[in-house]
Amino acid sequence: MQNKRRNFLIAGFVTSVVVVMNSGRIFSQVTPNTTLCILQYDLFPQAKEMGIHLPAYFTLIQHHSRIDEDEKEYLKNGIKWINEEAVEVYGALYHELHELKREELLKSISQKEWGDSYLYTLLTYIMEATFSDPIYGVNPKRSGQKWLEFQNGLPYPKEAYL
Amino acid sequence: MYDVCIIGSGAGGSPIAYELSNAGFNVVVLEKGKYYKEEDFTKDELAVSRRDMFTPNLQDEFHIINEYKPSGNFTRYSGKESGWNFWNGSMVGGSSNLMSGYFHRMKPNDFKLRSVYGKIRGANVVDWPISYEELEPYYKKVERVVGVSGRVVEHKYQEPRSSKEFPYKMLEVNGVTQWFDKACEEQGYDAIPTPRAVLSEDALGRKGCYYSNFCGSYGCASGAKGSARAALLQRCKAEIISEAFVYKLESDTTKVTKAYYYDKANKSHTIEAKIFVLSAQAIESVRLLLNSKNKYFPRGLANSSGELGNNLVFSAGGSGSGRFVFEKLTQKQQKELMQVGLFFNRSLQEWYDYDDGCRKYKGGTIDFLFEHQNIISRANRELYDEEGNLLWGQALAERLHKRLTTSRVLTFEVFNDWLPTDNCNVRVDEKTKDKWGVPVGVINLNSHPHDLEVGEHLAKKAAELLKKMGALEVEYSISSAPPPNLVAGGCRFGKDPKTSVLDVDCKAHDLENLYVSDASFMPTGGSVPYTWTIYANSFRVAQKILATLKT
Repeated sequence: MQNKRRNFLIAGFVTSVVVVMNSGRIFSQVTPNTTLCILQYDLFPQAKEMGIHLPAYFTLIQHHSRIDEDEKEYLKNGIKWINEEAVEVYGALYHELHELKREELLKSISQKEWGDSYLYTLLTYIMEATFSDPIYGVNPKRSGQKWLEFQNGLPYPKEAYL
Repeated sequence: MYDVCIIGSGAGGSPIAYELSNAGFNVVVLEKGKYYKEEDFTKDELAVSRRDMFTPNLQDEFHIINEYKPSGNFTRYSGKESGWNFWNGSMVGGSSNLMSGYFHRMKPNDFKLRSVYGKIRGANVVDWPISYEELEPYYKKVERVVGVSGRVVEHKYQEPRSSKEFPYKMLEVNGVTQWFDKACEEQGYDAIPTPRAVLSEDALGRKGCYYSNFCGSYGCASGAKGSARAALLQRCKAEIISEAFVYKLESDTTKVTKAYYYDKANKSHTIEAKIFVLSAQAIESVRLLLNSKNKYFPRGLANSSGELGNNLVFSAGGSGSGRFVFEKLTQKQQKELMQVGLFFNRSLQEWYDYDDGCRKYKGGTIDFLFEHQNIISRANRELYDEEGNLLWGQALAERLHKRLTTSRVLTFEVFNDWLPTDNCNVRVDEKTKDKWGVPVGVINLNSHPHDLEVGEHLAKKAAELLKKMGALEVEYSISSAPPPNLVAGGCRFGKDPKTSVLDVDCKAHDLENLYVSDASFMPTGGSVPYTWTIYANSFRVAQKILATLKT
């Protein structure tokens, strides 16, 4: 029963949508994962090369008991803001843009206070995923650690902390 | 009925549990946190450092923090919303599980700060009612029983010792310590191998250090670290009840009669004992006494003086760092720099006191250590370039790789006295309650400008030394932010019942059978981390209680 509830919660986040507004009107709807699957790897493409499952980590933290609701809401709101910025500048959702335009958009957003803060927050979670223990299921080969020649402390965790 | 009931299982309570249960008395220890053991302590940065697994959920348990400004105004923070908290290792053995174990004894002059260094306006400095000489045998006992490793070197502030050497040899150190020692020699400084409460070899029924590279903030998986749990509680017959939150002490006019606690299912229980020992860390001990007010003690238990909660102190100071980069090093030095696992373990007490030409200042200790190995935290520190631009993509990857594979940061921590003042204390907020419906602690924070002046003096010296060693990007920060793991005071001990909460034996002046044995007894904190002194004093108090129980 508990597993079913957990699966429902996770599925709920994956399929939930944020409403993207433009000039006071609804422009579109997008699931956070649709944006994040592109955005996270734009921010740190090495993670893809290393086989680190960033969207899966984002889903994990969305349901982590030690990450408060305000933070979870903030993470979701940021997706909305980035897409609204994309629509305002290029007339399309973030994931629909060519990578050069996405890069230009990130440069522009990073110069704004909200954008700098949001992208920094995403990057801190990306670093968590990149150097997480395989027990969390997103960095199965300790690829991040190997990349930085980092020697983990022992013993390794025996269970994920949620 | 138990002979002794101890509330809190950290460095303040465990020596008493150890001594009295080993002497055949019936001892129970009530601990709010869980009972983790060696096999539970992994090096999972996500759990321990990023998600704070050893910190209570701040929606359930929190403090109200009032931060005073020099004007006398203050800003109020609720820990529930701000995340600011003063919890430390809520588990059996308390914060000693998570300490780095940098162990320094207080110096003889630390016991008589007022009479040696004089009055400082706005500070409530008093001498201790005991001397270094009275505590020295117990410092020695801690070396043997808890286990302290190191090497005694002569220097101008070396405190008198009744034993020539530490009982356990020094831990292995990184080659960079030789650069440090050379720089100190050139400057005429005495480099001190930092004593550590970490066993360098198998002893005392515990495994020696296995150089995991993750010591501070993490529990020790071998038992080498001298936590109160590994060194004492697991070596005695005291009964330990974990996940037991004590919310009230009941008393008559002369004695504590019962301790009330909630178990993890929120069911209330009582414990009766001949003697009660409170050691829940300074803030929570005061909170419990204030929340235990009754018709005999309307201002709080043991508070007929009105001094309960006053003169809370922390360790003042701050920290700094410098970076060593491959470009400036030989291949041999590069290899030395990147040796992982081995400790740095060097301290300076060159300026434990100093003179600026006008007056004599009490200075402090500087501990040098490598930047914590936490890889996520280190990576996060590289997310901006030198101009303050956020990095991502290839630029971020290149920076991360270069900074974390071809350079390493040596840091230092400054410890000097946090002078006790009127506005630094603990109270309770009757209207704000935790998950058990118990009024939360209010921490009023105020620092004395003198603390910053001394910290700045010490940090400058440390920064200069790092530069002499060849470090780049040398910087430091001295602030009035209180370190939550270095807190003392609130139940001062003293000879006069009108101006102190506890007597010289750390027994409440007001009650015949209540002792307080965490750091809250300390009138001043010395210029060293507190743990060794807390352990030593608790062994001293244990002897006093033992004498009482035997009569």
